[in-house]
Amino acid sequence: MCEVLRQALRQAVDEVLDKMFFVCPLGEAEPDPEDAAPAIAARLTFEGEPSGWMTLRLTWQAAHAIAADFLGEDEESLTEQRTGEVVREMANMICGSVLSQVEGATAFHLAEPRILTIEEDADEHHGAVVFAVDIPNGRLTLLMNTERPECSEIVESVS
Amino acid sequence: MAYRVLIVDDSPAMRAFVHRVIELSGFDLSACFEASNGEEALTLLRSEWVDAILTDINMPRMDGQEFLRRLAGDQMLRSIPAIVISTDATRHRMESMASLGARGYITKPFLPEALRAELERTLGVPCD
Repeated sequence: MCEVLRQALRQAVDEVLDKMFFVCPLGEAEPDPEDAAPAIAARLTFEGEPSGWMTLRLTWQAAHAIAADFLGEDEESLTEQRTGEVVREMANMICGSVLSQVEGATAFHLAEPRILTIEEDADEHHGAVVFAVDIPNGRLTLLMNTERPECSEIVESVS
Repeated sequence: MAYRVLIVDDSPAMRAFVHRVIELSGFDLSACFEASNGEEALTLLRSEWVDAILTDINMPRMDGQEFLRRLAGDQMLRSIPAIVISTDATRHRMESMASLGARGYITKPFLPEALRAELERTLGVPCD
């Protein structure tokens, strides 16, 4: 596992949740592949040095509460579509924050995040760095895969 | 003095959030307009005057870079200060947007007070 990328994910999650969503992470969690809690997931690809993809998965209850807070709306009246918009924006912010840490000098391009179907979300994620935190009302999980350069090269560029 | 602000972002959630944050921050806002890309923003600016523009970079149809180029090339609109709001905190991107005419740059995530401070700095609002 690439510890530098994991550290960047941790820092990005803390910053984004705190500043933009006013959520305080409760602590790092062990990613659980058997976890069957209803969730919503968004994925985006990015181009730069490195290129790759990132998936953000939020348990449904947490996503709904965070979205309502972010938009200043009642949870009862919030549609799935609006919740999805907020989850996509959160994925965009976390990914941008991670890449700004590891791509200090070069510009990168983020594709528009999209909500995954259950089947897409269930795909195996070989080689991805996984990071999970417990948050009020549920769990946030990130999977990030960089294609090139490999993690060792990121370590060199960061240090 | 109260100000008229235009928010340009393809994410409806982000537009709603920025609008809410500006209001809650205590910034003196008289009107807030929204557009989902540069093209829509330019159309809106033909009928509505604003004091400041907050724009994203990655947007469909017309992105933030092309939007800034068009603003700079327009005699009527070039004086409106534009502030970029982006997740991209790389020096390369910040310099590139400044060279296109951006007067300010805020990286996401940001604190509500940082957004207000950047708006006031760009507009030359005197400190309390």
